[in-house]
Amino acid sequence: MDAVQFLQNFINGISIGSVYAIFALGYTLVFSILGIINFAHGAVFTLGAYLTYSLAVGRFGIGGLLADLQIPFQFSFSVSLLIGSILSGLAGVLVERCAFRPLRSRGADPLLALVSSLGVALVAVNVIQYLVGSEIYSFPSDVYGDIRPAFVIHFGEKLVVVRTVQMVIFAVSLLVLALLGYMIGYTRIGKALRAVAENASTASLLGINVDRFILYTFFLSGFLGGMAGSLVGTSFGIAGPYFGVSYGLKGLAVIVMGGLGSIPGAVLGGLIIGLAEAFVPSEYSAYKEAIAFAFLFAVLMIRPQGFLGRSQMQKV
Amino acid sequence: MSIILHAERLCRNFGGLQAVDAVSFSVEEGEIFGLIGPNGAGKTTLFNLLTGLTPVSSGTFNYKGKFLTGLPPHRIAGLGIGRTFQNIRLFKGLSALENVKISRHTRTGSGLVSGIFGFPASCREERLVEEKAREVLKLIGLSERAEELAGNFSYGDQRRLEIGRALALDPKVLLLDEPAAGMNTAEKQNLTAFIRGVRKQFSLTVLLIEHHVPLVMGLCDRVAVLDFGKLIAVGEPADVQRDPAVIEAYLGAE
Amino acid sequence: MEEFLQNYGFLVVTLLQQSLLALSLYFPLMTGQLSLASPGFYALGGYIAAIMLTVDGCAGVRDYLGWAIFPLGWVAAGIVSAVLALLVGIPALRLRGIYLALGTIAFVEIMRVLFLNMEITGGAIGIFDIPQLFEERWSYILVFGPLLIATLLFIYRLERSRIGRAYKAIREDELAAGAMGINATRYKVQAFVIGAILAGIVGAMSAPFLNTWNARQGTFDASVSYLAYVLIGGSRSLFGPLLGATLLVALPELLRPLKDARLIINGVVLVLASIYLPQGIVGAMSRLKRSLFKIYAARGDDK
Repeated sequence: MDAVQFLQNFINGISIGSVYAIFALGYTLVFSILGIINFAHGAVFTLGAYLTYSLAVGRFGIGGLLADLQIPFQFSFSVSLLIGSILSGLAGVLVERCAFRPLRSRGADPLLALVSSLGVALVAVNVIQYLVGSEIYSFPSDVYGDIRPAFVIHFGEKLVVVRTVQMVIFAVSLLVLALLGYMIGYTRIGKALRAVAENASTASLLGINVDRFILYTFFLSGFLGGMAGSLVGTSFGIAGPYFGVSYGLKGLAVIVMGGLGSIPGAVLGGLIIGLAEAFVPSEYSAYKEAIAFAFLFAVLMIRPQGFLGRSQMQKV
Repeated sequence: MSIILHAERLCRNFGGLQAVDAVSFSVEEGEIFGLIGPNGAGKTTLFNLLTGLTPVSSGTFNYKGKFLTGLPPHRIAGLGIGRTFQNIRLFKGLSALENVKISRHTRTGSGLVSGIFGFPASCREERLVEEKAREVLKLIGLSERAEELAGNFSYGDQRRLEIGRALALDPKVLLLDEPAAGMNTAEKQNLTAFIRGVRKQFSLTVLLIEHHVPLVMGLCDRVAVLDFGKLIAVGEPADVQRDPAVIEAYLGAE
Repeated sequence: MEEFLQNYGFLVVTLLQQSLLALSLYFPLMTGQLSLASPGFYALGGYIAAIMLTVDGCAGVRDYLGWAIFPLGWVAAGIVSAVLALLVGIPALRLRGIYLALGTIAFVEIMRVLFLNMEITGGAIGIFDIPQLFEERWSYILVFGPLLIATLLFIYRLERSRIGRAYKAIREDELAAGAMGINATRYKVQAFVIGAILAGIVGAMSAPFLNTWNARQGTFDASVSYLAYVLIGGSRSLFGPLLGATLLVALPELLRPLKDARLIINGVVLVLASIYLPQGIVGAMSRLKRSLFKIYAARGDDK
């Protein structure tokens, strides 16, 4: 591999890695507040992609119940992305209501919450399939308006291709991470979230409405998930309602590597896996899918708390 | 009197916190050895170190001369150290009888195949386990409630059952973590008599964490005092009670 | 009878097969471990049988053994699954709760990608035209039925044995079990391996039954289905997985319009069951029985 190819791989890796990071943050936020994994996150990812698609293209898709249904409005990409993500955030709240709240009020075992969210995911994905079919959806190439779809940088005879979508992804990711970091570190809401994450009962004694903050967290988590899905959708197309499943699972690998509940860990884990996938030589590209899981398994064996997580202490 | 348990500069730290700080002591065979100290002094952590539930950061301890540092809990239990827990960790979904039977696991050996196919050796073993478990239940006065779920027992009865479960292990050393918590005076007296009784009957050595100072002073042959993870006094109850360092740590008895 | 078997034979066999796969989940659950690894071993077992039955290299063995190649495939699948389960389980079962679930998810995904890309497994196409053991599909009841009965007997005896007691203690409180002398890791691995062997054997039996075998047999979705069976049926009784599998497989078949919504039903079941019936139907029934018993006993006292 020479320098040019290295650069190309690096750019590809950072791009997909930042999407993984954003998506993984959705898991991390919920885990740090509730201590459980929201298995419906992958479904929200999928939902976000379809929503942004419909809003940007102006109609629902090709197959399914809503085939060819025209939507009375159509938005530019950035607006669609924002609305799609907001709607995904609301979907996240709905997931919390259906799958998590009833279990919380019953004081149930956390593993049951995992199972319940799996159920919601299954229902959501299949409802999507019923509504819009399972064909592949590609965003039209002029979705970004006047900007060219790709930029080519020449290094003598070789070239590095930077797709516009990659730059969009990277820019959006940076923006989102910066805003999130600011919000969590410096605003009152952020401080309250951290308090609830630290110790929910103490937080409620301090007057924080824990339930409401759990809602905020799920909204945020859904927002991030939907945004990640939309970005991936524009980048690679939507391969069908199940395309979120493998991302959903990979997201788990990301957070375990980074450390469950650690925000910088999610970013780190996302970038590492993104880069690792990008640097897989083309002869082995079929095994790319397994890299994230091989990492996951390895991390679980060697250091289950991940790079930046804290060791789980068991109280005896 | 020989020394049955010896700890040498045992340390346990969590991050920056020294939960147990260079604790050394010896316990003589047949003693009832008390362990007292203010809340958070590291008493339960010390028990966890001695039973292998928490890994030792540094230091060693040995039992009958054999070094146990680094052994997993099930091995230590198998060698004859039994315990109860501060927060009662009975198998709540299992019956009282089953709870006690569990402790017979290390004293038996029938495996998967003989258990499934019901080989005679396995059946005999199960009968013996049942007998022994019922004996223990009789000893602690819970025979009539053998089939009841442990989770349904009252707090006091659960504590008794937990001691019974530990006794079923056939231990030589019994570690009791606040066995009298939540008991009234009469119950405490019964417990004291019970501990003395089983010590004699089974030739046990007992280590006892307890907050109720009069109980400790009345029951224990010797007492060790922990404060902030450090051992600040060891000796006979009367001497320890007068020790200025102990008084300072406690600011008076309970 | 003949007609029933013709029409419903496939369904009955599927019921038996899915019950067995649900039971493969039951073993780790007996020690309190949520393992989502069964589909990996199921797929593995199927591939082993499929390869033994189709590959040219084994043609000589096939001719020599005749129909005995089929049971040989089951044994081979069981052995390979056991070895793999040991290799994976020993490190993995030191993990607790969610970490173990995640580890098994990773395992299944890695297996799936491997199967999808290896030549011997036929890549994405898989292996097709697998020879049949029986002419009629419903005859496979003769294969899955005895396995199911044997498994149920095995579990019944296990739960009443010393080892079964250890499993229960670990499920209740792993730490306390250790303090009472039980080597939790050893038994968790053992339960995991047993579950894996079962899944592998079922896979080997299923390959001829289904005629083709590919990587889609071993996916995360499958674990979710098995989980649904055990949850709705009850994870504490050996009849639970049976009941759950029967309900979730048979109902959509018998109620035609529901058939397409099978996955949605599974999903809804998972949500409702985890909220309202965490002990499953069997657990709820025994709770009901106990509370009815208490009511009768109380009324008796009043007299």
